[in-house]
Amino acid sequence: MRELDTSAPIAKRTIWTRLMAVDRRIIFLAVALSVALPLIYPIGLPVKTANESRAYFKEMDQLNAGDVIMFSFDYEPDTMAELDPMSLTTWRHAFRKDLKIIALTMYAGGTGVAERIMRQVAGEYGKVYGEDYIFLGYNPDWSGTMLRLGESIKATYPTDQYGTPSESFPILQHVDRYGHIKLLVSVSASALSEYWAIWAGGKYGQRMISGNTAVQAVLIYPYFQTDQISGFLGGLKGAAEYESLVGIKGEGTRGMDAQSTAHALMVLFILLGNVGYVMNRRRRTQ
Amino acid sequence: MKRTGPVIFGFLIGMVMLLQYFSPHPTLLSTYNLILDWKQVVFGMTLILGIVSLVRFHSTKIRRKQDGWLYSIVTLAGLVAMSGSSLVWGTERGFYPWAFDNIQAPMQATMFALLAFYVASASYRAFRVRSLHAGLLLLAGVIVMLGRVPLGELIGITIKGQHYALPQLSTWILDVPNLAAKRGILIGVGLGMVATALKILLGIERSYLGKGA
Repeated sequence: MRELDTSAPIAKRTIWTRLMAVDRRIIFLAVALSVALPLIYPIGLPVKTANESRAYFKEMDQLNAGDVIMFSFDYEPDTMAELDPMSLTTWRHAFRKDLKIIALTMYAGGTGVAERIMRQVAGEYGKVYGEDYIFLGYNPDWSGTMLRLGESIKATYPTDQYGTPSESFPILQHVDRYGHIKLLVSVSASALSEYWAIWAGGKYGQRMISGNTAVQAVLIYPYFQTDQISGFLGGLKGAAEYESLVGIKGEGTRGMDAQSTAHALMVLFILLGNVGYVMNRRRRTQ
Repeated sequence: MKRTGPVIFGFLIGMVMLLQYFSPHPTLLSTYNLILDWKQVVFGMTLILGIVSLVRFHSTKIRRKQDGWLYSIVTLAGLVAMSGSSLVWGTERGFYPWAFDNIQAPMQATMFALLAFYVASASYRAFRVRSLHAGLLLLAGVIVMLGRVPLGELIGITIKGQHYALPQLSTWILDVPNLAAKRGILIGVGLGMVATALKILLGIERSYLGKGA
């Protein structure tokens, strides 16, 4: 099939060729407006919850006060717009239920992300470091760390992120391996939640849930169907669904209007391009 | 011995890691933990190797005044400032959290946000109904894109009193065809990994030893 010559002079172009070659600057401007305007003037589209988000909520909600969960910040600032709302709501949900949290990260850049989230939510609920939560920090070698945590948390992390011996924390007095942890939560921008399911879940039987970027979420469905990952949040929509289940309106809910208009705009551009393409092809074959 | 030694070492370590899956024997367990500890040490050393490599690459670029050498100065300055300040004051106070919140986070977020613009532009140009397969892909893409946002809830049809919203179709695409394809890929990858692991353990695959092995 002959390629269409979109570099032809404007005067010779038809409406259909123009539809196929919209200037990228116009697309960029349209995307910017479609994201910015709903953030400034919210539409308030309703958020309905999906099975995977309800399962995520249920796993968290059925825990009792005093239960210990492990939370892994498996992302860096690039994806925080999508994943921070999940982390924030999970921590709020956990502290509201008086759960204890052992936090860690598999990314060097995840330390800054974790500290910001922990500082903010612990402040909101008046939680005490060392008693209600601790931060073990970053360990190189994620696979070795995931496996080693199944044997001993204190041996894997002799100190917390700030150099205090792990043994000295009240939260770790009776907790030293996966068997002592009720639930593992990985909020991840990569395949790390899959690896948590393989190493911590497969070898040690650790129950887990995960939060993932929209791109990554597609890959989690096989693990969810087999209950290797008991619930998951997919992208900003997953975050918004979880927020509505917990009853906290956060960044996820606020971002839903913008995401809706941006998706609709992309579909519109794709359809316009295809109308142009089909009409052009028909014109050429006639 | 230069070639045989690593192969024997790899075989022994591999066998311990394999056997510990099937036996809770204390000796196997302690060896398993020892190997995991060493693995973390080795991984830590690769970080040092990475830093040395980064410094050498950029310092050479600066010395030779190659294209973009000014960016190399920024890279090295960032490396020294961030790691230096975190070593002196820790990650929770001083320069590190300030630089993280005000420089690193906005820059990384900006880079990721730019993807939205490029994806919009690229999908507009690339998603063309050139064949039946391309048409099906386009249809599935549009359904999933709209079905994953609240706007999709407003789109649907009612048949015999039963309302079918777009997200239901989107969920079906993700749950059935996507899952079938993904599971097939996962099984293929898993079998490939087992085969490669066996080849490495038995010394058939030696490319990890470098050229000529």
